[in-house]
Amino acid sequence: MSFEWPWQYNFPPFFTLQPNVDTRQKQLAAWCSLVLSYCRHRKLYTLDVLEAQESPVFNNKKIERKLSVEAIQVVFEELRKKGNLEWLDKNKSRCLIMWRRPEEWGKLIYQWVSKNGMVNSVFTLYELANGDDTEKEEFHGLEDWMLLRSLQALQTDGKAEIITMDDGKGVKFF
Amino acid sequence: MHRRGVGAGAIAKKKLAEAKYKERGSVLAEDQIAQMSKQLDTFKTHLEEFASKHKQEIRKSSQFRVQFQEMCATIGVDPLASGKGFWPEMLGVGDFYYELGVQIIEVCLALKHRNGGLITLDELHHRVLKGRGKFAQDVSQDDLVRAIKKLKAMGNGFGMIPVGGTYLVQSVPAELNMDHTVVLQLAEKKGYVTVSEIRESLKWEKERACHVLDHLLKEGLAWLDSQAAGEPQYWLPALFSELLSQDVTPEEANQMTP
Repeated sequence: MSFEWPWQYNFPPFFTLQPNVDTRQKQLAAWCSLVLSYCRHRKLYTLDVLEAQESPVFNNKKIERKLSVEAIQVVFEELRKKGNLEWLDKNKSRCLIMWRRPEEWGKLIYQWVSKNGMVNSVFTLYELANGDDTEKEEFHGLEDWMLLRSLQALQTDGKAEIITMDDGKGVKFF
Repeated sequence: MHRRGVGAGAIAKKKLAEAKYKERGSVLAEDQIAQMSKQLDTFKTHLEEFASKHKQEIRKSSQFRVQFQEMCATIGVDPLASGKGFWPEMLGVGDFYYELGVQIIEVCLALKHRNGGLITLDELHHRVLKGRGKFAQDVSQDDLVRAIKKLKAMGNGFGMIPVGGTYLVQSVPAELNMDHTVVLQLAEKKGYVTVSEIRESLKWEKERACHVLDHLLKEGLAWLDSQAAGEPQYWLPALFSELLSQDVTPEEANQMTP
């Protein structure tokens, strides 16, 4: 399914950081939404700032407009404030993109577990994210770091316990 | 032979004649009033028949409404004047425009975050029709203009700006004077305008042009594009052709600040 760009994407001023404060707020909200939707669509979990500049999200070749590096940083900062982004390095060159927050993933995983009557079973992380059983699930293919955080969120809620096993980590659901 | 008009007798006669005329006059007036009253009753009955017969048409046909309005104008009646009253109640004309007014406000509010409160009459028309669904009653641009005039009279911050043969409908009380209006008209062609274009077309000083553009930015009606070749362009979402009839997506709705 091809990605549906929002109307702002083809609006040339969208790629200029707006001088008017209220308009800028609307602009940034739209950018945050676009970045998250795009990453969700492409199942991207990390972004590299320099690479991002050339990505179709920030560079619309059709209308010959692209977001400057400074502007991209502003958008990323906005995402960070909202809890959807985490920097992986001090130089802010690479980041984790959480188009779904760990708590939300945790909820999805737990729903699948209880729906299949598998509460009280133990799973390896691999089984959860890459097993045949979960192929149709949205969390299938979830990257390890995010999977761990989601399970940690469930753990905090008392719905799961992360166990260390011989060859890695596992989880038991309650 | 007696001489006429002279003497006490003549005066008395005159007085009597005057009294008789007066009496006659009031009798006449009474007559006329009785007749007029009867005519009005008949007229009223006819009108009631007209009303019930055509109430459906008034709701359904925009052409009928135009003709009806024109007829009313000829006899000096404003069917939309203040909700209560013989005409609006009789024919439901007031209801129709009142409901339309509410719909117009809804459409404008839904899109305000996008276009800053400025929308073309075409787009407004398109969306109103869409909102009314398949079995929609025919609504013309004339209907919209009348409804908007009503809204304007009620002080809802509505206004209409003539541009390129049609109108821009303003639904927020942004202060737009002649200078702003004329720049909007200039921008209508391509959806954007530049300082040079303003100076060339309107023969203004640079400062005046910048002042107007700054105001449009401030009111949220225009966005700045600094990557345009040559000089910055000022775009108006309200005039962005690609935006016409693009629905508000759930994502977009989520972005709207309360």
